[in-house]
Amino acid sequence: MIVFEDVGFRYGRGPDVLKNLDFEVPEGAFTFVTGASGAGKSSLLRLLYLDAVPSSGRISMFGRDVTTLSRDEIAWFRRRIGVVFQDFRLLDHLTAAENVALPLRVAGAKVSEYRENVVEMLRWVGLGDQMDVKPPQLSGGEKQRIAIARAVVASPDIILADEPTGSVDPVMAERIMQLFVEMNRLGKTVVLATHDLDLAEQTGHPVLELQGGSLMARVAA
Amino acid sequence: MRRGALISFQASGGLLMVLIVAAMAFLACFAMAGTLGASKLANAWTEGLSGAATVRIGAEDGVSQDQVDIVLDILRETDGVIEATPLTDEEVAALLEPWFGTTPRLEDLPAPTIIAVRIDPLNEPESAILQARLDGAGAGAIYDDHGEWRGRAASAARAVRNVALGALIICALAIAMVVVLTVRSSLAAQRATIATLRLAGAEDRFVAGVYQTRYLWLGLAGGVIGCAMAGAAMLAVDALASVGRALPALAATGQWWLGPVAVVVFVAVLCVLAARLTVLRALRSGA
Repeated sequence: MIVFEDVGFRYGRGPDVLKNLDFEVPEGAFTFVTGASGAGKSSLLRLLYLDAVPSSGRISMFGRDVTTLSRDEIAWFRRRIGVVFQDFRLLDHLTAAENVALPLRVAGAKVSEYRENVVEMLRWVGLGDQMDVKPPQLSGGEKQRIAIARAVVASPDIILADEPTGSVDPVMAERIMQLFVEMNRLGKTVVLATHDLDLAEQTGHPVLELQGGSLMARVAA
Repeated sequence: MRRGALISFQASGGLLMVLIVAAMAFLACFAMAGTLGASKLANAWTEGLSGAATVRIGAEDGVSQDQVDIVLDILRETDGVIEATPLTDEEVAALLEPWFGTTPRLEDLPAPTIIAVRIDPLNEPESAILQARLDGAGAGAIYDDHGEWRGRAASAARAVRNVALGALIICALAIAMVVVLTVRSSLAAQRATIATLRLAGAEDRFVAGVYQTRYLWLGLAGGVIGCAMAGAAMLAVDALASVGRALPALAATGQWWLGPVAVVVFVAVLCVLAARLTVLRALRSGA
Protein backbone atom coordinates (compact mmCIF):
# COMPACT_ATOMS: atom_id res chain seq x y z
CA MET A 1 0.00 0.00 0.00
CA ILE A 2 1.14 3.55 -0.81
CA VAL A 3 0.16 6.22 1.72
CA PHE A 4 0.64 9.99 1.26
CA GLU A 5 0.09 12.03 4.43
CA ASP A 6 -0.08 15.80 3.99
CA VAL A 7 2.77 15.67 1.46
CA GLY A 8 4.16 18.88 0.01
CA PHE A 9 7.03 19.23 -2.46
CA ARG A 10 9.04 22.05 -3.98
CA TYR A 11 12.25 22.25 -6.01
CA GLY A 12 14.89 24.03 -3.94
CA ARG A 13 13.46 27.26 -2.61
CA GLY A 14 10.89 27.55 -5.39
CA PRO A 15 7.13 27.52 -5.02
CA ASP A 16 5.25 24.41 -3.90
CA VAL A 17 4.62 22.11 -6.84
CA LEU A 18 2.66 19.65 -4.69
CA LYS A 19 0.51 20.74 -1.75
CA ASN A 20 -1.08 18.84 1.12
CA LEU A 21 -1.49 15.54 -0.70
CA ASP A 22 -3.43 12.95 1.31
CA PHE A 23 -4.33 9.68 -0.38
CA GLU A 24 -3.82 5.93 -0.33
CA VAL A 25 -3.25 3.48 -3.16
CA PRO A 26 -4.17 -0.03 -2.04
CA GLU A 27 -1.99 -2.99 -2.92
CA GLY A 28 -2.89 -4.41 -6.33
CA ALA A 29 -4.83 -1.28 -7.37
CA PHE A 30 -4.73 0.36 -10.81
CA THR A 31 -4.72 4.12 -10.26
CA PHE A 32 -4.52 7.01 -12.70
CA VAL A 33 -2.93 10.36 -11.88
CA THR A 34 -4.26 13.04 -14.22
CA GLY A 35 -3.92 16.75 -14.64
CA ALA A 36 -2.81 19.36 -17.13
CA SER A 37 0.85 19.92 -17.96
CA GLY A 38 2.56 21.40 -14.90
CA ALA A 39 -0.09 20.09 -12.53
CA GLY A 40 2.56 18.05 -10.69
CA LYS A 41 2.04 14.55 -12.13
CA SER A 42 5.73 13.97 -12.87
CA SER A 43 6.75 15.40 -9.49
CA LEU A 44 4.32 13.04 -7.79
CA LEU A 45 5.85 10.11 -9.68
CA ARG A 46 9.35 11.29 -8.70
CA LEU A 47 8.32 11.05 -5.08
CA LEU A 48 6.93 7.58 -5.76
CA TYR A 49 10.09 6.26 -7.38
CA LEU A 50 12.17 7.80 -4.61
CA ASP A 51 14.03 10.26 -6.82
CA ALA A 52 13.08 13.10 -4.48
CA VAL A 53 11.99 13.53 -0.88
CA PRO A 54 8.92 15.57 0.08
CA SER A 55 9.42 19.05 1.52
CA SER A 56 6.79 18.21 4.11
CA GLY A 57 4.60 15.31 5.13
CA ARG A 58 5.24 11.60 5.03
CA ILE A 59 5.13 8.87 2.37
CA SER A 60 4.83 5.20 3.29
CA MET A 61 5.47 2.30 0.94
CA PHE A 62 5.83 -1.37 1.77
CA GLY A 63 5.07 -0.44 5.37
CA ARG A 64 8.07 1.92 5.69
CA ASP A 65 8.40 5.69 5.86
CA VAL A 66 10.37 6.17 2.64
CA THR A 67 11.38 9.76 3.41
CA THR A 68 14.09 8.57 5.80
CA LEU A 69 15.68 5.79 3.76
CA SER A 70 19.46 5.56 3.32
CA ARG A 71 20.93 5.51 -0.20
CA ASP A 72 21.37 1.74 -0.10
CA GLU A 73 17.82 1.26 1.16
CA ILE A 74 16.53 3.47 -1.64
CA ALA A 75 18.31 1.23 -4.17
CA TRP A 76 16.77 -1.84 -2.58
CA PHE A 77 13.26 -0.27 -2.59
CA ARG A 78 13.66 0.74 -6.23
CA ARG A 79 14.10 -2.91 -7.15
CA ARG A 80 10.50 -3.35 -6.04
CA ILE A 81 9.33 -0.44 -8.20
CA GLY A 82 9.28 -0.55 -12.00
CA VAL A 83 9.20 2.81 -13.76
CA VAL A 84 8.31 3.72 -17.35
CA PHE A 85 9.65 7.20 -17.95
CA GLN A 86 8.12 9.69 -20.35
CA ASP A 87 11.50 10.03 -22.08
CA PHE A 88 12.14 6.24 -21.85
CA ARG A 89 15.65 6.66 -20.35
CA LEU A 90 17.06 3.77 -22.35
CA LEU A 91 20.84 3.41 -22.59
CA ASP A 92 21.72 3.97 -26.24
CA HIS A 93 24.94 1.94 -26.14
CA LEU A 94 23.12 -1.21 -24.99
CA THR A 95 20.89 -3.47 -27.08
CA ALA A 96 17.15 -3.78 -26.48
CA ALA A 97 17.73 -7.04 -24.56
CA GLU A 98 20.49 -5.48 -22.45
CA ASN A 99 18.27 -2.51 -21.63
CA VAL A 100 15.46 -4.80 -20.56
CA ALA A 101 17.88 -6.85 -18.43
CA LEU A 102 19.20 -3.79 -16.59
CA PRO A 103 17.17 -4.15 -13.34
CA LEU A 104 18.17 -7.83 -13.13
CA ARG A 105 21.80 -7.05 -13.87
CA VAL A 106 22.09 -4.38 -11.18
CA ALA A 107 20.42 -6.74 -8.72
CA GLY A 108 23.31 -9.14 -9.27
CA ALA A 109 21.64 -11.77 -11.47
CA LYS A 110 23.77 -13.64 -13.99
CA VAL A 111 23.02 -13.66 -17.71
CA SER A 112 22.28 -17.40 -17.65
CA GLU A 113 19.68 -16.78 -14.95
CA TYR A 114 17.75 -14.05 -16.72
CA ARG A 115 18.25 -14.67 -20.45
CA GLU A 116 14.99 -16.60 -20.89
CA ASN A 117 13.05 -14.04 -18.85
CA VAL A 118 14.33 -11.15 -20.97
CA VAL A 119 13.53 -12.94 -24.23
CA GLU A 120 10.04 -13.69 -22.94
CA MET A 121 9.52 -10.05 -21.93
CA LEU A 122 10.58 -8.76 -25.33
CA ARG A 123 8.19 -11.20 -27.01
CA TRP A 124 5.42 -10.09 -24.65
CA VAL A 125 5.82 -6.49 -25.78
CA GLY A 126 6.03 -7.63 -29.41
CA LEU A 127 9.76 -7.00 -29.93
CA GLY A 128 11.08 -10.55 -29.93
CA ASP A 129 12.81 -9.91 -33.26
CA GLN A 130 14.49 -6.67 -32.11
CA MET A 131 16.54 -7.99 -29.20
CA ASP A 132 19.93 -6.99 -30.59
CA VAL A 133 18.85 -3.61 -31.91
CA LYS A 134 20.02 -0.49 -30.09
CA PRO A 135 17.53 2.26 -29.12
CA PRO A 136 18.66 4.84 -31.73
CA GLN A 137 17.44 2.42 -34.42
CA LEU A 138 13.98 2.01 -32.84
CA SER A 139 10.77 4.04 -33.19
CA GLY A 140 9.17 5.91 -30.27
CA GLY A 141 6.58 3.18 -29.77
CA GLU A 142 9.23 0.47 -29.78
CA LYS A 143 11.32 2.37 -27.25
CA GLN A 144 8.23 2.77 -25.11
CA ARG A 145 7.60 -0.98 -25.15
CA ILE A 146 11.24 -1.72 -24.26
CA ALA A 147 10.90 0.70 -21.36
CA ILE A 148 7.78 -1.17 -20.25
CA ALA A 149 9.54 -4.53 -20.54
CA ARG A 150 12.43 -3.15 -18.47
CA ALA A 151 10.00 -1.84 -15.85
CA VAL A 152 8.31 -5.19 -15.33
CA VAL A 153 11.11 -7.72 -16.01
CA ALA A 154 12.16 -7.98 -12.37
CA SER A 155 8.52 -8.52 -11.34
CA PRO A 156 8.26 -5.41 -9.15
CA ASP A 157 5.40 -4.89 -6.71
CA ILE A 158 4.62 -1.40 -8.00
CA ILE A 159 4.68 -0.20 -11.61
CA LEU A 160 4.78 3.54 -12.29
CA ALA A 161 4.35 5.03 -15.74
CA ASP A 162 4.61 8.67 -16.80
CA GLU A 163 2.55 9.41 -19.95
CA PRO A 164 3.23 5.95 -21.39
CA THR A 165 0.97 6.55 -24.38
CA GLY A 166 2.00 10.13 -24.99
CA SER A 167 4.29 9.49 -27.95
CA VAL A 168 2.52 6.67 -29.78
CA ASP A 169 -0.44 6.31 -32.15
CA PRO A 170 -3.87 5.24 -30.82
CA VAL A 171 -3.46 1.60 -31.85
CA MET A 172 -0.12 1.35 -30.06
CA ALA A 173 -1.53 3.30 -27.09
CA GLU A 174 -4.29 0.71 -26.70
CA ARG A 175 -1.77 -2.10 -26.92
CA ILE A 176 0.44 -0.46 -24.29
CA MET A 177 -2.54 0.09 -21.99
CA GLN A 178 -3.38 -3.57 -22.36
CA LEU A 179 0.12 -4.46 -21.11
CA PHE A 180 -0.46 -2.46 -17.92
CA VAL A 181 -3.87 -4.07 -17.42
CA GLU A 182 -2.26 -7.50 -17.76
CA MET A 183 0.37 -6.60 -15.16
CA ASN A 184 -2.35 -5.37 -12.82
CA ARG A 185 -4.20 -8.66 -13.25
CA LEU A 186 -1.03 -10.40 -12.10
CA GLY A 187 -1.38 -8.50 -8.80
CA LYS A 188 0.93 -5.56 -9.45
CA THR A 189 0.03 -2.11 -8.17
CA VAL A 190 -0.06 0.23 -11.18
CA VAL A 191 0.07 4.03 -10.98
CA LEU A 192 -0.18 5.67 -14.39
CA ALA A 193 0.19 9.39 -14.95
CA THR A 194 -1.53 10.87 -18.00
CA HIS A 195 -2.95 14.18 -19.08
CA ASP A 196 -5.70 12.28 -20.92
CA LEU A 197 -8.58 12.31 -18.43
CA ASP A 198 -10.89 10.58 -20.94
CA LEU A 199 -8.53 7.61 -21.21
CA ALA A 200 -8.44 7.36 -17.43
CA GLU A 201 -12.18 7.58 -16.99
CA GLN A 202 -12.89 5.05 -19.77
CA THR A 203 -11.07 2.31 -17.92
CA GLY A 204 -13.14 2.76 -14.79
CA HIS A 205 -10.11 2.76 -12.48
CA PRO A 206 -9.68 5.29 -9.65
CA VAL A 207 -8.33 8.65 -10.76
CA LEU A 208 -6.31 11.15 -8.73
CA GLU A 209 -6.72 14.53 -10.42
CA LEU A 210 -4.07 17.16 -9.76
CA GLN A 211 -4.53 20.86 -10.36
CA GLY A 212 -1.83 23.32 -9.48
CA GLY A 213 -0.17 20.73 -7.27
CA SER A 214 -3.27 20.00 -5.21
CA LEU A 215 -5.47 16.94 -5.32
CA MET A 216 -8.77 18.19 -6.74
CA ALA A 217 -10.79 15.05 -6.95
CA ARG A 218 -10.60 11.35 -6.55
CA VAL A 219 -12.82 9.68 -9.06
CA ALA A 220 -13.86 6.30 -7.68
CA ALA A 221 -14.22 3.30 -9.92
CA MET B 1 26.76 -8.51 -20.66
CA ARG B 2 29.86 -7.48 -18.74
CA ARG B 3 29.27 -5.11 -15.83
CA GLY B 4 31.79 -2.71 -17.35
CA ALA B 5 29.69 -2.51 -20.52
CA LEU B 6 26.84 -0.85 -18.62
CA ILE B 7 28.71 2.45 -18.83
CA SER B 8 30.04 3.62 -22.18
CA PHE B 9 33.61 4.72 -21.53
CA GLN B 10 35.62 6.68 -24.08
CA ALA B 11 38.44 4.63 -25.55
CA SER B 12 40.68 7.69 -25.94
CA GLY B 13 40.39 8.49 -22.24
CA GLY B 14 41.43 4.95 -21.40
CA LEU B 15 44.45 5.09 -23.70
CA LEU B 16 45.61 8.36 -22.16
CA MET B 17 45.23 6.90 -18.70
CA VAL B 18 47.28 3.81 -19.66
CA LEU B 19 50.06 5.99 -21.08
CA ILE B 20 50.25 8.17 -17.97
CA VAL B 21 50.20 5.16 -15.64
CA ALA B 22 52.90 3.49 -17.77
CA ALA B 23 55.13 6.57 -17.47
CA MET B 24 54.61 6.75 -13.71
CA ALA B 25 55.20 3.00 -13.29
CA PHE B 26 58.44 3.33 -15.27
CA LEU B 27 59.64 6.10 -12.96
CA ALA B 28 58.44 4.21 -9.88
CA CYS B 29 60.48 1.17 -10.92
CA PHE B 30 63.61 3.29 -11.15
CA ALA B 31 62.84 5.00 -7.85
CA MET B 32 62.50 1.58 -6.27
CA ALA B 33 65.72 0.41 -7.92
CA GLY B 34 67.38 3.56 -6.58
CA THR B 35 66.21 2.74 -3.08
CA LEU B 36 67.41 -0.85 -3.25
CA GLY B 37 70.63 0.08 -5.04
CA ALA B 38 71.52 2.73 -2.45
CA SER B 39 70.93 0.31 0.40
CA LYS B 40 72.92 -2.38 -1.37
CA LEU B 41 75.80 -0.02 -2.11
CA ALA B 42 75.92 1.23 1.48
CA ASN B 43 75.83 -2.33 2.77
CA ALA B 44 78.64 -3.32 0.42
CA TRP B 45 80.76 -0.42 1.66
CA THR B 46 80.09 -0.92 5.35
CA GLU B 47 80.30 -4.72 5.22
CA GLY B 48 83.70 -4.38 3.59
CA LEU B 49 84.86 -2.28 6.50
CA SER B 50 83.17 -4.07 9.36
CA GLY B 51 85.49 -6.40 11.25
CA ALA B 52 88.49 -4.36 10.25
CA ALA B 53 90.33 -1.51 11.95
CA THR B 54 93.76 0.04 11.80
CA VAL B 55 96.20 1.52 14.24
CA ARG B 56 98.55 4.16 12.94
CA ILE B 57 101.76 4.89 14.85
CA GLY B 58 103.10 8.38 14.14
CA ALA B 59 106.29 8.68 12.06
CA GLU B 60 107.70 12.19 12.47
CA ASP B 61 110.47 11.02 14.83
CA GLY B 62 110.55 7.51 13.47
CA VAL B 63 108.86 4.47 14.96
CA SER B 64 110.74 2.10 17.25
CA GLN B 65 110.05 -1.60 17.52
CA ASP B 66 109.30 -1.03 21.24
CA GLN B 67 106.45 1.30 20.33
CA VAL B 68 105.05 -1.29 17.95
CA ASP B 69 105.35 -4.08 20.54
CA ILE B 70 103.59 -2.01 23.21
CA VAL B 71 100.73 -1.29 20.86
CA LEU B 72 100.53 -4.93 19.75
CA ASP B 73 100.44 -6.07 23.41
CA ILE B 74 97.59 -3.67 24.17
CA LEU B 75 95.67 -4.77 21.12
CA ARG B 76 96.08 -8.48 21.75
CA GLU B 77 94.90 -8.04 25.36
CA THR B 78 91.79 -6.20 24.23
CA ASP B 79 88.53 -8.12 24.24
CA GLY B 80 87.06 -8.26 20.71
CA VAL B 81 90.37 -8.04 18.88
CA ILE B 82 90.94 -11.27 16.97
CA GLU B 83 94.25 -10.45 15.34
CA ALA B 84 96.69 -7.52 15.12
CA THR B 85 99.38 -7.60 12.43
CA PRO B 86 101.77 -4.81 11.38
CA LEU B 87 101.76 -4.19 7.64
CA THR B 88 104.95 -5.04 5.88
CA ASP B 89 106.92 -2.32 4.06
CA GLU B 90 105.64 -3.71 0.77
CA GLU B 91 102.04 -3.45 1.94
CA VAL B 92 102.53 0.13 3.13
CA ALA B 93 104.23 0.99 -0.16
CA ALA B 94 101.25 -0.46 -2.03
CA LEU B 95 98.90 1.76 0.02
CA LEU B 96 100.98 4.85 -0.79
CA GLU B 97 101.40 4.01 -4.44
CA PRO B 98 98.23 5.77 -5.68
CA TRP B 99 99.62 9.07 -4.29
CA PHE B 100 103.38 8.78 -4.67
CA GLY B 101 103.80 6.17 -7.36
CA THR B 102 106.58 3.60 -7.23
CA THR B 103 109.58 5.88 -7.57
CA PRO B 104 110.34 7.09 -3.99
CA ARG B 105 111.72 4.61 -1.50
CA LEU B 106 109.66 4.05 1.63
CA GLU B 107 112.62 4.82 3.89
CA ASP B 108 112.74 8.34 2.40
CA LEU B 109 109.16 9.05 3.41
CA PRO B 110 107.87 9.76 6.91
CA ALA B 111 105.44 6.85 6.51
CA PRO B 112 103.65 5.74 9.68
CA THR B 113 103.59 2.17 10.84
CA ILE B 114 100.20 0.64 10.20
CA ILE B 115 98.81 -2.26 12.19
CA ALA B 116 95.91 -4.11 10.62
CA VAL B 117 93.45 -5.17 13.28
CA ARG B 118 90.85 -7.86 12.74
CA ILE B 119 88.00 -7.48 15.17
CA ASP B 120 84.91 -9.46 16.06
CA PRO B 121 81.99 -7.62 14.35
CA LEU B 122 79.66 -8.90 17.06
CA ASN B 123 81.93 -7.76 19.89
CA GLU B 124 83.67 -4.64 18.66
CA PRO B 125 85.96 -3.00 21.21
CA GLU B 126 84.90 0.43 22.44
CA SER B 127 87.13 2.70 20.37
CA ALA B 128 87.30 5.52 22.95
CA ILE B 129 88.46 3.16 25.71
CA LEU B 130 91.01 1.50 23.44
CA GLN B 131 92.30 4.88 22.29
CA ALA B 132 92.64 5.96 25.96
CA ARG B 133 94.70 2.85 26.71
CA LEU B 134 96.93 3.53 23.68
CA ASP B 135 97.35 7.16 24.80
CA GLY B 136 98.20 5.96 28.31
CA ALA B 137 100.99 3.79 26.91
CA GLY B 138 102.50 6.88 25.23
CA ALA B 139 103.15 5.07 21.96
CA GLY B 140 101.66 7.83 19.82
CA ALA B 141 99.18 5.40 18.24
CA ILE B 142 95.82 6.29 16.75
CA TYR B 143 93.06 3.69 16.55
CA ASP B 144 90.66 3.97 13.60
CA ASP B 145 87.66 1.62 13.37
CA HIS B 146 86.34 3.46 10.24
CA GLY B 147 83.23 4.42 12.21
CA GLU B 148 83.17 7.92 10.73
CA TRP B 149 83.42 6.56 7.18
CA ARG B 150 80.75 3.95 7.82
CA GLY B 151 78.50 6.62 9.33
CA ARG B 152 78.92 8.84 6.27
CA ALA B 153 78.21 5.94 3.91
CA ALA B 154 75.08 5.02 5.84
CA SER B 155 73.93 8.62 5.91
CA ALA B 156 74.52 9.00 2.15
CA ALA B 157 72.57 5.79 1.53
CA ARG B 158 69.74 7.06 3.74
CA ALA B 159 69.63 10.32 1.81
CA VAL B 160 69.46 8.52 -1.56
CA ARG B 161 66.81 6.15 -0.19
CA ASN B 162 64.71 9.04 1.12
CA VAL B 163 64.88 10.84 -2.23
CA ALA B 164 63.87 7.61 -4.01
CA LEU B 165 61.01 7.06 -1.56
CA GLY B 166 59.91 10.64 -2.16
CA ALA B 167 59.92 9.95 -5.90
CA LEU B 168 57.83 6.80 -5.32
CA ILE B 169 55.31 8.79 -3.30
CA ILE B 170 55.14 11.47 -6.00
CA CYS B 171 54.52 8.78 -8.65
CA ALA B 172 51.75 7.26 -6.52
CA LEU B 173 50.16 10.66 -5.94
CA ALA B 174 50.34 11.47 -9.66
CA ILE B 175 48.61 8.18 -10.55
CA ALA B 176 45.95 8.73 -7.89
CA MET B 177 45.33 12.27 -9.12
CA VAL B 178 44.99 11.14 -12.75
CA VAL B 179 42.50 8.47 -11.67
CA VAL B 180 40.50 10.98 -9.61
CA LEU B 181 40.38 13.50 -12.46
CA THR B 182 39.44 10.99 -15.16
CA VAL B 183 36.81 9.32 -12.95
CA ARG B 184 35.26 12.69 -12.10
CA SER B 185 35.23 13.64 -15.75
CA SER B 186 33.61 10.33 -16.67
CA LEU B 187 31.02 10.64 -13.90
CA ALA B 188 30.06 14.05 -15.25
CA ALA B 189 29.83 12.72 -18.83
CA GLN B 190 27.86 9.63 -17.74
CA ARG B 191 25.50 11.42 -15.38
CA ALA B 192 22.36 10.28 -17.24
CA THR B 193 23.52 6.67 -17.51
CA ILE B 194 24.38 6.51 -13.82
CA ALA B 195 21.03 8.07 -12.92
CA THR B 196 19.31 5.35 -14.97
CA LEU B 197 21.34 2.65 -13.23
CA ARG B 198 20.41 4.13 -9.85
CA LEU B 199 16.72 4.27 -10.83
CA ALA B 200 16.94 0.62 -11.88
CA GLY B 201 18.06 -0.22 -8.34
CA ALA B 202 21.84 -0.02 -8.54
CA GLU B 203 23.58 0.71 -5.26
CA ASP B 204 26.49 3.14 -5.14
CA ARG B 205 28.90 0.25 -4.70
CA PHE B 206 27.58 -1.34 -7.91
CA VAL B 207 28.44 1.82 -9.87
CA ALA B 208 31.77 1.99 -8.04
CA GLY B 209 32.33 -1.64 -9.04
CA VAL B 210 31.94 -0.76 -12.72
CA TYR B 211 34.64 1.89 -12.37
CA GLN B 212 36.86 -0.33 -10.22
CA THR B 213 36.83 -3.03 -12.86
CA ARG B 214 37.72 -0.57 -15.60
CA TYR B 215 40.50 1.09 -13.64
CA LEU B 216 41.88 -2.27 -12.52
CA TRP B 217 42.47 -3.17 -16.17
CA LEU B 218 43.76 0.29 -17.07
CA GLY B 219 46.12 0.20 -14.07
CA LEU B 220 47.32 -3.29 -14.91
CA ALA B 221 47.86 -2.40 -18.57
CA GLY B 222 49.74 0.82 -17.73
CA GLY B 223 51.71 -0.88 -14.95
CA VAL B 224 52.76 -3.83 -17.10
CA ILE B 225 53.83 -1.58 -20.00
CA GLY B 226 55.77 0.83 -17.75
CA CYS B 227 57.39 -1.91 -15.69
CA ALA B 228 58.30 -3.97 -18.75
CA MET B 229 60.09 -0.94 -20.19
CA ALA B 230 61.77 -0.29 -16.83
CA GLY B 231 62.75 -3.96 -16.55
CA ALA B 232 64.39 -3.83 -19.97
CA ALA B 233 66.21 -0.63 -19.03
CA MET B 234 67.37 -2.19 -15.76
CA LEU B 235 68.75 -5.22 -17.55
CA ALA B 236 70.68 -2.85 -19.78
CA VAL B 237 72.06 -1.02 -16.71
CA ASP B 238 72.87 -4.38 -15.15
CA ALA B 239 74.77 -5.48 -18.23
CA LEU B 240 76.71 -2.21 -18.13
CA ALA B 241 77.48 -2.61 -14.42
CA SER B 242 78.56 -6.23 -14.81
CA VAL B 243 80.82 -5.53 -17.77
CA GLY B 244 82.35 -2.31 -16.57
CA ARG B 245 82.35 -3.10 -12.86
CA ALA B 246 81.62 0.56 -12.39
CA LEU B 247 78.64 0.04 -10.13
CA PRO B 248 78.83 -3.57 -8.97
CA ALA B 249 76.35 -2.95 -6.14
CA LEU B 250 73.68 -2.03 -8.69
CA ALA B 251 74.06 -5.34 -10.50
CA ALA B 252 70.82 -7.33 -10.47
CA THR B 253 70.30 -10.13 -8.02
CA GLY B 254 68.18 -13.23 -8.72
CA GLN B 255 64.92 -11.65 -7.48
CA TRP B 256 65.33 -8.29 -9.20
CA TRP B 257 62.06 -8.82 -11.11
CA LEU B 258 60.11 -8.75 -7.84
CA GLY B 259 60.44 -4.95 -7.85
CA PRO B 260 58.60 -4.34 -11.15
CA VAL B 261 56.00 -6.98 -10.25
CA ALA B 262 55.40 -5.22 -6.91
CA VAL B 263 55.04 -1.90 -8.76
CA VAL B 264 52.44 -3.41 -11.15
CA VAL B 265 50.42 -4.80 -8.23
CA PHE B 266 50.73 -1.54 -6.29
CA VAL B 267 49.66 0.56 -9.29
CA ALA B 268 46.62 -1.68 -9.96
CA VAL B 269 45.53 -1.57 -6.32
CA LEU B 270 46.06 2.19 -6.21
CA CYS B 271 43.93 2.68 -9.35
CA VAL B 272 41.13 0.51 -7.96
CA LEU B 273 41.08 2.26 -4.59
CA ALA B 274 41.28 5.77 -6.05
CA ALA B 275 38.46 4.98 -8.51
CA ARG B 276 36.24 3.43 -5.85
CA LEU B 277 36.68 6.25 -3.34
CA THR B 278 36.17 8.91 -6.02
CA VAL B 279 32.94 7.32 -7.27
CA LEU B 280 31.49 6.72 -3.81
CA ARG B 281 32.35 10.21 -2.68
CA ALA B 282 30.93 11.81 -5.83
CA LEU B 283 27.70 9.80 -5.72
CA ARG B 284 27.14 10.48 -2.04
CA SER B 285 27.68 14.17 -2.55
CA GLY B 286 24.98 14.10 -5.23
CA ALA B 287 27.06 14.13 -8.40
